[in-house]
Amino acid sequence: MSATGFQTMVAALLAGDHAAALAEARRLRAAGVSAERIVTDGLEVAMGRLDEKCTVEQFNLLEIMLVGRAVSVVVQDIYPEGMPPAQGRATFVIGTLEGDVHDLGKNIVKMVLIGKGYRVVDLGRDCPVEALAEAAERERAAAVLVSGLISPIVPQVRRVRAALQARGLAGVAVVAGGAALKQLAAADLNVDYVAETAFDGASYLEGLVTENAV
Amino acid sequence: MNSLERILAAVRFEPTDRTPFMPQLFGHAASMAGVGLDAYVRDGRLMAECQLRQQERLGNDAVFAFSDLGVETEALGSRLRYYERQYPEVVAYALAPADAAAILSLPDPARDGRMPAVLRALGLLRRALGDSVLVAGGVAGPMTLASQLYGAETVLYLTADDRPRFEAVLDFAVAVAIRYGAAQIGAGAHLVTVLEPMASPAVVPPDFFRELLVPRLRRLMAGLREAGALATWLNIAGPTAPILPHYAELGADIATFDYYVEPAEACGRLPRTCLAGNLKSLDFLAPSSADLAAQARRLIAAFADRGGFILTAGCEIPPEAGDSYIAALAEVAARG
Repeated sequence: MSATGFQTMVAALLAGDHAAALAEARRLRAAGVSAERIVTDGLEVAMGRLDEKCTVEQFNLLEIMLVGRAVSVVVQDIYPEGMPPAQGRATFVIGTLEGDVHDLGKNIVKMVLIGKGYRVVDLGRDCPVEALAEAAERERAAAVLVSGLISPIVPQVRRVRAALQARGLAGVAVVAGGAALKQLAAADLNVDYVAETAFDGASYLEGLVTENAV
Repeated sequence: MNSLERILAAVRFEPTDRTPFMPQLFGHAASMAGVGLDAYVRDGRLMAECQLRQQERLGNDAVFAFSDLGVETEALGSRLRYYERQYPEVVAYALAPADAAAILSLPDPARDGRMPAVLRALGLLRRALGDSVLVAGGVAGPMTLASQLYGAETVLYLTADDRPRFEAVLDFAVAVAIRYGAAQIGAGAHLVTVLEPMASPAVVPPDFFRELLVPRLRRLMAGLREAGALATWLNIAGPTAPILPHYAELGADIATFDYYVEPAEACGRLPRTCLAGNLKSLDFLAPSSADLAAQARRLIAAFADRGGFILTAGCEIPPEAGDSYIAALAEVAARG
């Protein structure tokens, strides 16, 4: 099937119509299209278009969430057990640090990365720094992502790198994002990168993974 | 010219003896007094005492009997968790995803949750300061209260999945804000700032704001004015440039603008509305010590000819911010 055969699914995903996207994904699967192609020619294309549209000025949570939900519904349908490691390009560990129960931003980053074909291990909210480091080691993660809406978690963010280094994971990148954290510089937070938006963070991680693969 | 006169003059674009300085110092007053936020947000007398002590030390032109966005939702049945060093968070929402706002009743500000504590703080502040310093209250805007009743994720999906139920919760939230805001004015507030972070273009698109929120915010501003507010103030952080032009039509006398929006752009979009901003809140925490005083001087210079400006941050200054940063700003404002 040519890429144009995926137009209906891509349009449904971009409209945030999860029911239509799911129906179209199932139709394609019934027609013999592989799960891999649903991801590469459907989900990734939709996320790419959304990425182009979402400049800092035009990024808004509502549209991203609706597209992200549609992508997640399709992924869950074609991979009920989760995206297989062989299919996922790299693994990232993500969490909202202890004391911060806001996980909307984290969930959006997760949806964007899954939509781009990555494997994401989500430690949820209110997550201790040590749990992040432990998961990074266990999952052989390429990066640890921390999201923060409120300023009191800043001291914890600064401790993530040391927790990774204590486990011999100095090469694992640390990326921060969220309304509070993005107002500070990477050096202030002791992280490798501060993402302005979910797509900005994804773009940094794509560069990182590509660089490591070379 | 006293502080209240200075701010009201800026709102009317009249000359002021110096730039009004109205940093959004909510829980910071507790930190400065060595008081835990869990006590501060629940005790009206403590809140008033901390605000008065802070104002005496910094000379800021306004005090706030406002702490967090959990007051209304708690009064309506949500369960909150309190912390010593950060604001309370909702741990169980008043509305389940399948619920409609119709199951809730309007709160009684004299009785429900922490509303009486806030009213008490306002009364004490007004008695202590009279009409010398602006006494401000605060309410959650409709989109923000809706998200505090259902949870942000649920309410954002609701916008797409069940528009009538979403609009019903917005209308309910407007009624709550008018009732609670009117009670605050009755208790002593000169004005009530409307905090509506969930209406930021970072959260919902500008078309959504225009269609669904402008009419409701207009109703809310009119309600507060009718209750006796000396001015209305819309407080939305983030990249608000696309929605600023609507602030005038919905009746906001004071418009907060955040660091994303350049002063010239804000002036162009709101030529006859008093602008309050736009220092970066988290610069007050940065160990690299951004030069806030220099930024403040640049802002004051940018508005020197226009007037209609209040020096503050584009969002709340965090409770853990350094006192010296704020004192430095107060000094800049005192000179300009």
